[in-house]
Amino acid sequence: MNTHDPLVIAGREFRSRLLTGTGKYDTFETMREALAASGSQIVTVAVRRIDFDAPGEDITAFLPEDVLLLPNTSGCETAEEAVRSARLARAGGLPDWVKLEVIPDARYLLPDPVETLRAAAQLVEEDFTVLPYVLPDPVLQKKLEEVGCATVMPLAAPIGSGRGLKLRDAIRIMVEQAEVPLVVDAGLGAPSHAAEAMEMGADAVLVNTAIARAGDPVAMARAFRLAVEAGREAHRAGIMEEGSDAAASSPVAGAIHGA
Amino acid sequence: MSGHVVVNGREQPVGRGETLAALLERLGVGARYALVERNGEPVERARYAEVRLEDGDSLVVARPVAGG
Repeated sequence: MNTHDPLVIAGREFRSRLLTGTGKYDTFETMREALAASGSQIVTVAVRRIDFDAPGEDITAFLPEDVLLLPNTSGCETAEEAVRSARLARAGGLPDWVKLEVIPDARYLLPDPVETLRAAAQLVEEDFTVLPYVLPDPVLQKKLEEVGCATVMPLAAPIGSGRGLKLRDAIRIMVEQAEVPLVVDAGLGAPSHAAEAMEMGADAVLVNTAIARAGDPVAMARAFRLAVEAGREAHRAGIMEEGSDAAASSPVAGAIHGA
Repeated sequence: MSGHVVVNGREQPVGRGETLAALLERLGVGARYALVERNGEPVERARYAEVRLEDGDSLVVARPVAGG
């Protein structure tokens, strides 16, 4: 099997199929080590006003130079707010890639499909590379592809819930019909969840809380890296079909106690 | 003429002809990324040193923070 198997988003190649977030780490030092252990080449950040009374540490001093920073539009509840946030980030020197999140719902943090599609169309028009975060909705996926999104990123379960692929059947349909990379984003709690998504044929996964809140985030980052690699390799290798009856692995004939 | 600008909702004095870059420096925002909106419009980073602030300008100054 050809070992050259890059993730290609908007014409750019990445070796790693594990995207990671930078939120919820106890310290930026731990975050830096975990990012390195994850092997991630795409790392998300949020954008917020500076509190001049308590500016705190500057995260960018702890981020590797050789990763693509992916600013998100978290905190935005409408298309207009998301477009404004993306424009601000790009003007200030961040990449023109954007993880588009439009989330009006504080309890389950579920994205607004109508506003997300509106914002995506506008941002593509303005030459952004748009990676929208969505509920697993195969119809919405097609519409986002039509307006020119670079990926579609369905959630596995609510953000930070760690519940795994609760919406696997819808994600499976999206995998089948994807014309741009499909990234499973949010809700993955364990490396086995990430492996399952990759075995199903997802092109990549995005993980934050499951690594940042693990007992040992650096070790967990490594575990997710391995799970994503294993899941991808298994998908490419071709997983056997399930059967309802047993099928012996050893020869049936010639047993020692036989005739 | 000196004056005042509003930065993230708070008034800041600015000197005559003070540039955006000088204000950011004075506010201690010398980091890799300071993201600025002036009167509702994003300002290109390459223009920070040439944009001269005017009395009454309203600025949003943001930066990347941890997030997923």
